[in-house]
This record gives sequence, C-alpha cells and structure tokens, in this order.
Amino acid sequence: MKVSVKFWSYFKEHTQCAETTLNLPENTTLGDAHSAVIDQFPVLIEMKNSTLKAVGVEYQPDDFILSEGDEISFFPPVQGG
Amino acid sequence: MKTQLSITSEAIDEHFLITDRETSVSAGAVIVFQGIVRNMEDGVPINAIDYESFNEMACHQFELIFEDIDRQWPIESVRLVHRIGVVPVNEPSLWVEIIAAHRSEAFAACQFLIDEMKVRVPIWKQPQQLP
Repeated sequence: MKVSVKFWSYFKEHTQCAETTLNLPENTTLGDAHSAVIDQFPVLIEMKNSTLKAVGVEYQPDDFILSEGDEISFFPPVQGG
Repeated sequence: MKTQLSITSEAIDEHFLITDRETSVSAGAVIVFQGIVRNMEDGVPINAIDYESFNEMACHQFELIFEDIDRQWPIESVRLVHRIGVVPVNEPSLWVEIIAAHRSEAFAACQFLIDEMKVRVPIWKQPQQLP
C-alpha cells in the first residue's frame, strides 16, 4: 500500500524535502513507517524520541495500523504562541 | 460555548477584535491574553519570528481544546487568533479572549488553552536573527 509522508518545521530542512511516499506492506504500523522513514533519511534518528506523529489531523501512537492512502506527518515538538 | 478561530498571516487587529466583541448580560469577566514576540530568543537577539503552521491539523487541535474547555468550565465564548509568517518583535503572534460569568473560570480556561496549545497545536517558530 502507498502512504504519503509530510515533514514539518526543521524536519523539512534535515530531509531536504517536504513530502515523500512510502510503499509499505498491509497492516504496517505508524511506528514501522517511522522506522522506514529513518532508514530513508538517517538524519532523523537523532530526533526519533521527540518526533510527534500524526495521521491526517490526529496524533496517533506507534501501534496505529496504517491504511492505503493515509497521510502521515512527522514533526518536532510544537512551539505555538 | 461560542468559539471563533483564525490562523492568519495578517497582523492581529486588536482594535477590530475588541469592537467586534459580543457579551451577554450574564458575562462578568473578559480575559484577553496576547503573546508578543520578544527581542531575544534563547539569549540571542532577533528581529522577528517566522511562524509555520500545519493549518488543517492546527485548526482541528484548537477545536479539540475548545471542546475540552467547554466540558470543564462554564465559558460563554472563546476567540483566538494566531498569526503565522513573519511577526516582527513587539507585535502580537497570539490573541486570546475568554468571556465567562466569573473571573476564576475565565482565567483557568485561558491558562489551559495556552498550555494545551503549546503541546498539541502544530505551529512552529523560526527566529529571524539580526543581520
């Protein structure tokens, strides 16, 4: 299945792209997708533990099961205000 | 509870926001909080902050926070404006208004909203340093 991945804030600078696509097996978890992204962009491993993860507009845990077409976002801690 | 939310690249027009205020006859407290861009960030002088927002998710997360507030306190209305893009020093990046019958719930809701925003709402800042 295909899912899209968006990077926000300085993650975009580290990866040098705002968005990528992953081809993943069925029943892949969000945590597995995060690992796949780190394999593709090793620079993100330094921020692995502080990375916030969302699918669509909701935060999701690592064991969230992804579906075809999901839009994943990875980003650093937020800083509004 | 009435809510109004805006994430905008326009400068925050506080005069307009105050003119546009609506209060019921039972409202006894109006709390307004502004977040202002300081001239220092982590000890480094800056002249602005460039705010980036994941708008769709930011709006959704703000709405969830508003729902949490509505469950916890008897609040009449919440209005929030967050400016994005480049915000110069000494200008507001955030404007929040809470209206309630009494000050205690208005202050509590305002504190909760800003605390939750800072952990849940996907907005980031990039300080712009002086040349």
